[in-house]
Amino acid sequence: MCANCGFPAAPGHWTEVGMDETHDRLQARYRRAGLLRAVLRNHGLSAHDDATTPGITISTLTGNHEVAHDLTAVWEVAEKLSGRPVDPLAPEFIGDDEETAGQGASG
Amino acid sequence: MTASPDSRIPLTLLGGFLGSGKTTWLRHQLHSGEMTEALVVVNEAADVPVDDMLLFKSSEIRLLAGGCACCEGKERLIALLRQFCDERVDDRYTGKRHEHIVLETSGLADPGPIVDAIRTDSILMHHIVVREIIVAVDALHGIGYLTSEPLGRRQVETGDRLIITKADAVDEDALRQLRATLQSINPGAAISASAMGSKVALPDISDAKAVDLRVLGDGDPRPVISTSIKLAEGTDWTAFGLWLSAILHARGDDLVRVKGVMRTPSGRLLLQSVRKVVQSPEILPASVAAGKDENSIVFIGRGFRPRDLRMSLKRFAGLSLADDPPPDHQEAI
Repeated sequence: MCANCGFPAAPGHWTEVGMDETHDRLQARYRRAGLLRAVLRNHGLSAHDDATTPGITISTLTGNHEVAHDLTAVWEVAEKLSGRPVDPLAPEFIGDDEETAGQGASG
Repeated sequence: MTASPDSRIPLTLLGGFLGSGKTTWLRHQLHSGEMTEALVVVNEAADVPVDDMLLFKSSEIRLLAGGCACCEGKERLIALLRQFCDERVDDRYTGKRHEHIVLETSGLADPGPIVDAIRTDSILMHHIVVREIIVAVDALHGIGYLTSEPLGRRQVETGDRLIITKADAVDEDALRQLRATLQSINPGAAISASAMGSKVALPDISDAKAVDLRVLGDGDPRPVISTSIKLAEGTDWTAFGLWLSAILHARGDDLVRVKGVMRTPSGRLLLQSVRKVVQSPEILPASVAAGKDENSIVFIGRGFRPRDLRMSLKRFAGLSLADDPPPDHQEAI
């Protein structure tokens, strides 16, 4: 961002913006890992983030695992390990198992 | 014999597809001291405006939200411009008298009908002259929407000046190809490039090949819809970010634009995405006045129902919504 414009862009993954303090970052990482575990459970996956080493470890029930360096990579890894995309508009997340959600959108 | 000088006010129309970088470009011009004396009219298709908050360096902004100025918002645009003309000649008017108008259209607006409306209006034709049509073209997504969106191509066709934005986001070959493609669509337009609004040099295109665009038919038949969702106060940014990153990964080709200002413990975050790319959220300075629509996130795209987004926010991310539940609120635009 142009320095003249007065809107400094935050570094890092966009979801981590504003977390300047160490305790904020740690808290957010633990919270994120918990949310991921809940979301990925349907895909037979688990997420682990010890908040001290970089990345988020995504594991299958059989122990296969891969480290995703940020949240964007998490979805790619999850798709690769489970064989299907994690789609927030999938029927299980919109309470609509009969109709086709998204009407032709990808996923 | 010499022609009498044209006393009409020049209007610059700034157009470009959704997320093409119009506001960023204009913001930089304002910060650089250009156009600061102009009346800036911002048109947003969505009900919840965001762009006007970024243009606080302009001397005056008037907002037209909730409809494209080329179609359902056209009458309001004409009314606004007529009011401006009345004010300009009214001795009792104590506000600023502008000598230039900059109209930033919504990303879904076709500049052609807007220009026609201004040029043919019985009052405006005597007071306002469309001086230039500037069209922003996203270096990252330009080829994509020029290939698939008839509207994106129409915008480029109407431009007097085409500005390739986000030029720093692609390599030189991609820039050359986009420049050659734009030249093939609109050979008469001046083409330049910018990064965050600053001008950057364009590479030579003597041996660059334009993308073959002849395959474009009527485009994607699914209507583009716009909906806004107001998040509850104190919404967990981590959960929302996780949800948004997931949905953009899965549906980013359909979810063309997401934008809004979100209140977080770290401050007010300006959130913007174009397809799968999220611009690093900016923390708005306290000097930017809070808008009444903060915490409302606008979603523009195809292939989703507004209720699906709401339900997913609750089920996938466990979030609460402040404006739940309007019955499938959506506007085809």
